[in-house]
Amino acid sequence: MKDIIKVQNLTFSYGKRAVLKELSFDVKQGCFLSIAGPNGAGKTTLLNLLSGLLKAETGFVEIDSKSVQNYSARKLARKIAFVRQEFIPVFDYTVAEMVSMARMPYSRSLGFESEADKKLITEALTMTDTIQFACRPLESLSGGERQRVFIARAFAQDTPILLLDEPTSFLDYKHQVGIYDLLKKMQNERQKTILTVTHDINLAAQYADIGLLMAADNSYVYGPTMEVFSRKQIEKFFDAKILTADIGQSKFFMPLGKLAKDAGLIKNQQ
Amino acid sequence: MNTDIITDETQRERLKVLTGKKLLTQILICSGVLILVIFICVSIGTQKISISKVLDGPGAGAGDNIDYEIFIFRLRRVITAALVGAALAAAGVILQGLLRNPLADPYILGISSGAALGTIIAVISGLTITIWAGSPMALFAFVGAILTILLVWYIGRFAGKSQVTSLLLAGVVVNAFLSAVIMFLISIAKSEQLRTTVFWLMGNISEKSWSVIAIASIFIGGGITALFGISYRLNALTLGDSEAKNLGVDTTTIRTVAFGFSAFITAVAVSLSGLIGFVGLIVPHGVRLVFGPDHRQLLPLSALIGGIFLIIADTIARTIFGAEQLPVGVITAIVGGPFFLILLARYSRKVGWLK
Repeated sequence: MKDIIKVQNLTFSYGKRAVLKELSFDVKQGCFLSIAGPNGAGKTTLLNLLSGLLKAETGFVEIDSKSVQNYSARKLARKIAFVRQEFIPVFDYTVAEMVSMARMPYSRSLGFESEADKKLITEALTMTDTIQFACRPLESLSGGERQRVFIARAFAQDTPILLLDEPTSFLDYKHQVGIYDLLKKMQNERQKTILTVTHDINLAAQYADIGLLMAADNSYVYGPTMEVFSRKQIEKFFDAKILTADIGQSKFFMPLGKLAKDAGLIKNQQ
Repeated sequence: MNTDIITDETQRERLKVLTGKKLLTQILICSGVLILVIFICVSIGTQKISISKVLDGPGAGAGDNIDYEIFIFRLRRVITAALVGAALAAAGVILQGLLRNPLADPYILGISSGAALGTIIAVISGLTITIWAGSPMALFAFVGAILTILLVWYIGRFAGKSQVTSLLLAGVVVNAFLSAVIMFLISIAKSEQLRTTVFWLMGNISEKSWSVIAIASIFIGGGITALFGISYRLNALTLGDSEAKNLGVDTTTIRTVAFGFSAFITAVAVSLSGLIGFVGLIVPHGVRLVFGPDHRQLLPLSALIGGIFLIIADTIARTIFGAEQLPVGVITAIVGGPFFLILLARYSRKVGWLK
C-alpha cells in the first residue's frame, strides 16, 4: 500500500509557544492511527494541519503526494473528512440535513441531492444507527447520538481519510465500542485511512495499528501500537504512574492515584 | 440491526431533504400570494377606486380617468414597499447566517448609522441636486451606507482571528463613533432640518418614479439572485469556519459575496425608504420557524414574505388614520416589537449561545 499521508519536519507554534517541532511520519493507505498525549501536546493542532486549516511554518503535509496547501478546499474535502467533538449548531438543522451537507464537495450550485447522493446518505445513517432520528433536529438528540450523526456525515462524505478528534469522549461504553467497531469495519472493508485523537489509550491500543505519542515538550514516538503504547512510554509521556495488564493480545492501562500507590499496588507490577 | 427490514421506499421517505421541485412549488405559491396582496392593497385606500374604471385604461388626457391614475400612483408605492421588504428580509437572512446569530438584522454592522449620517449631512448642507430617488438624501444615504460597510469590513478583517466576532466588534465601534457624529450634527441643526431627518430615520415608503423602480428592481433582484447562488454553501458556513472548510467550502469567497451583496441591497433599500426596522429581523425568524434553517429555502421565501409583510404594513400606515399618513417604520415596530419578544422567549430556551 502506498503512503497516503506524508508528514515531513512539521513545525508549528502559536506565537512563541512551539506546539510541534520537526514532526515526521508517513501513514499507509488503510491504516488505523491513534494519536495520544497529554493536554497541550498539539494533537488537535496536528489534525488541523493535516486538514489544511492551519499552515505549517516549516515542513509540509502531503496527501496523495500533493501538499495540502495546493489543494482547493473542495478537492481536499473529497480526500479528508473531519469529525470534531459534537456540538449544537446555532440553527436547528435536522439529522438528515446535517448528514446531507457531506455531499457539498461534490455538488455545484444549489446542491440538490441526486439518487446516488441519497443512497450514500441513507447508508451512512444506517451504519451509524442514526436513521431513526433522520427527521429530528440535532439539538433534540443526546450528545452521543449527535456524535454518531457527525460520524455519519463523515462516512457520507466518502473520503479515503477520516480524521476524528476525540470521537468517543461523550459516549457510554456501548457506543464507544460501537464507534470503534464501525471505524475498524470501515478500515477493513473500504480501506479507509483512519486517524483518531484520543485520551482513551485502552481503546486506541485495541483498535489502532499504529500509534503516535506526543509530549508537551515536542518530543514524540511513532510506530506499531504494541511498541508505542507500552507502560514505559505511557508513563514517560503522561508523567503518571500506570498499571498495565495483558489480556489476550491487548494491553490495558490504568492510571494510579496516590491511594493505590500507598497500598503498594505498584510493586506487584514488576 | 433492525434497519435491515426497512425497505428502500420507506428509507427514502425518512430521508427528508429539500428537492428542487419542492422549492420551486413554494416559491411559486409565495409569488402568487405576493401578486394577490399587491392587487388587494392597491385597491385599498382613503380614496375609493372602481376596478372596472381602472380596467378602462388611461383616458385621452391627464385627469380623464382619475381612478386609473390613483391605481398607478398606488401601484408605484406598493411595488416600492415590496422591493424594500424583500431586500431587508433577504439581507437579514444572510447576516443572521453569516454572523451565526439569529438576532442579527441588516443594520447590525452599522449600515444604519452610516446612512443616517449621509442623510443628515445632505439635509444640513441644504443640497438641492436631484439624482437617484429624486432627492440628495437618498444618494447621501446610499453613499454613507456603502462607505460605512466598507470601513466595518476593513476593520473586521484587520482586527483578529475570529471573523464573526471581529466583524461584530468593528460594527459596534463604527456605530458608536458615527452615532456621536450624528448627535453632534443634530445638536447644531435647525428645527426644520431636524424634522425632515427624524421623519426619514423612522422609515417611510413613498411612491417612486418608474425609472427608479426599474433600477432598484435590477439592483435588489440581482443582489438576491447572487445571494441565492451561495445559499447552499452558506448552510455549511453557519456551522463555523473550520466545519465549512472541511466540507469543501471556500469560506473567504462565500463570506465576501454574502457580506457584499447583503450590504448592497440594504443600502439600496435604505436609500429608497429610510430606516425601516424589524422587517429584516422578524421575517427571517418567522420563515425559519416554519420552514427550517436551509438557506436555499429561507432566502427566497423570506424575500417574498418580506415584500408581502411590508406592503401590508405600509397599507395600514397610509390608511389607518385616513388622510394622515404614519411612517411605516412605526407600524413595523409596533407589530414587530411584541413578535420579537415572543421569539426571544422561545429561542432563549433553545439556543446555546444565550445560555
